[in-house]
Amino acid sequence: MDNAKPQLMDRPKAEAKHAASETSGAALVSALDELLGVQADVALDAVPVPHRRVERWKYTPVAAWWKDVLASEVQTVAAAGCEANPVPGLDAYRLVFVNGTFDAAASDLPVHTGVMCMPVSQRGDAPLQSADAFSPEESDWFAGLNGRYSQEGLYLRVAQGVELDRPILIHHHTCGAGVFNVLRHDIALGLNASVKIVQWSTAAAEADGAVNVLTRADVGEGARLHIDKVQDEEGTVRHIAFEDIRQGKASQVEVHTITVRGAWVRNDLAFRINGQGAHAELNGAFLPGEGEFVDNHTTVDHRVPHCTSSENYKGILYGKSTGVFNGKVFVRPDAQQTNAYQQNANILASDMASMNAKPELEIYADDVKCSHGCTVGQFDSDALFYARSRGVGLEAAKAMLVHAFIGDVLKGLAVTEVRLEVEHRLAEKHGWDVWSDHLNDDA
Amino acid sequence: MLKINELKASVEEAAILKGLNLTINPGEVHAIMGPNGSGKSTLASVLAGREEYEVEGGSVDFNGADLLDMDATERARAGLFLAFQYPVEIPGVSNINFMRAAVNGKREHEGLEPIKGKAFLDMVKKKAQLVELDGRLRNRSVNEGFSGGEKKRNEIFQMAMLEPELAILDETDSGLDIDALRIVSDGVNAMRSPERSFLVITHYQRLLEYIVPDFVHVLVDGRIVRSGGKELALELEEKGYDWIKEDIVA
Repeated sequence: MDNAKPQLMDRPKAEAKHAASETSGAALVSALDELLGVQADVALDAVPVPHRRVERWKYTPVAAWWKDVLASEVQTVAAAGCEANPVPGLDAYRLVFVNGTFDAAASDLPVHTGVMCMPVSQRGDAPLQSADAFSPEESDWFAGLNGRYSQEGLYLRVAQGVELDRPILIHHHTCGAGVFNVLRHDIALGLNASVKIVQWSTAAAEADGAVNVLTRADVGEGARLHIDKVQDEEGTVRHIAFEDIRQGKASQVEVHTITVRGAWVRNDLAFRINGQGAHAELNGAFLPGEGEFVDNHTTVDHRVPHCTSSENYKGILYGKSTGVFNGKVFVRPDAQQTNAYQQNANILASDMASMNAKPELEIYADDVKCSHGCTVGQFDSDALFYARSRGVGLEAAKAMLVHAFIGDVLKGLAVTEVRLEVEHRLAEKHGWDVWSDHLNDDA
Repeated sequence: MLKINELKASVEEAAILKGLNLTINPGEVHAIMGPNGSGKSTLASVLAGREEYEVEGGSVDFNGADLLDMDATERARAGLFLAFQYPVEIPGVSNINFMRAAVNGKREHEGLEPIKGKAFLDMVKKKAQLVELDGRLRNRSVNEGFSGGEKKRNEIFQMAMLEPELAILDETDSGLDIDALRIVSDGVNAMRSPERSFLVITHYQRLLEYIVPDFVHVLVDGRIVRSGGKELALELEEKGYDWIKEDIVA
């Protein structure tokens, strides 16, 4: 079809221009310029502050807080009274960042042939990957903030054929008031390299401010990148995270995003599949409680033939919480033989909870297999009654159904210790005394 | 053990049970037969505590306690068991974990510690033999992909695990071939004891050849219209339900 000329990823920009009459956040920008210094020449006036008339921000309110003037406080996890390793029993290399600053004392960097793994601030002259026309900095004001101000994060290069023996745990911690915790992780994997990364975000109970993390990864031919991303933040921090992922031929990338806790969380994942035979996997589970907001935006851009992508997001919403899922799949005209799958299922566990779910498939190739499903429902009352008729308590029965519901997402996590800790924290948050997998563990 | 007095119940504002009386003593097996729509399954659901059913009047005493005052979980823990006509599939919850939660729920009610893994598995093994439940089914998701016969055997397995005082079997014979019917019935018969009672709900007399009742009741339009011994079932089989209906009108 000739008239269906793909606009593809310039759409957010078009919307942005339409909204150009809105404020550009100049006051905040000049405050941050003074506070943090301009790290890169990223102009913020080209893209306006998001507001709800822009499609990508329709369900995601930012007006109430984006202009809060922010301060930056240098801290360490020890001073913050926080454990450096939030995942008990996990044997991993560790990079700890507190309020955007590298905490050397709490970190444990790998010494490994073919691996350069260090905080960005210690990389010397080595260049970072630059943003391009499709990077989030070009179309998203918050990503623009990251581009302009971030000066720290993980710098990782894994050479051809190197498989890192342990996962790398990146721990982001936020504490104090009015903190702007901005980080950019820069990852490049060579031919057939392989690495597992755990991104774990915590915040202290009294913390407020913003967390803004951008992860840019260039995954080379045949390389494998697994990211287990866990958000468990107390306080009232607003967490926005971007993944800008470029995949080479026959590469495999998996990102598993689990939101345990967070007052306001937005994850914006963009996968560009540039090489044939590549596979992208994006899974997520979010269980917001009273007053919490969780938004998952994903974009998978199939640019070449013979690639696959699989996406599975599950939400369970409690109390007066709000969820957003927006899953965009582009299949460009050249991307024949694409196999793309997307699933988003949600349970409203309360009458006050709301979920805004939107699958968006734009397919411009004719020989492809693309499927998607999206549901918003409630707990299965037949299953609950069945369990209760066997003497299982109502809350335990619900916990059992929850575990069954998100079980496939949790099982996908690359690191077992992460899964166990996530289950533990979810059970703690929601007051479940039965977490059915544990029944099996000692059986 | 169970004393139902003038029980009236409705679902979605339609009156189904219209003053039902029934007394079951320990060790007795009672069968309730009746035509479709007479209220047999409603009775089972109301007794088990299904919330969609509205109790409009009457009382149910279970071992001296007010059954209608308890929720479904409490009734189960107090010793009441319902074998479902249509057992529910619960994808993602393994049969064995499901039963472990159930057994521990009951133990908690009795003030006991959760059962140890080894003791639990021994118990599962023993009880599964009772209904020849395939070992693989224990680790599969609850009822998911089970055949009709496997589902009903699983119900009886669960009953054996929970050792109820009163078991209600709701059309357990539906969808069973003759071999499965024998296995299920053997399982039930093995559990008969002077302390345990059964309420067997069925449309057909066939099941009662295998599970021989002490009493047979005929339920028509929400009331028990006739009670008798096991021979009543044979009479019904021979003459059909219309005979009873005509009898009432006459």
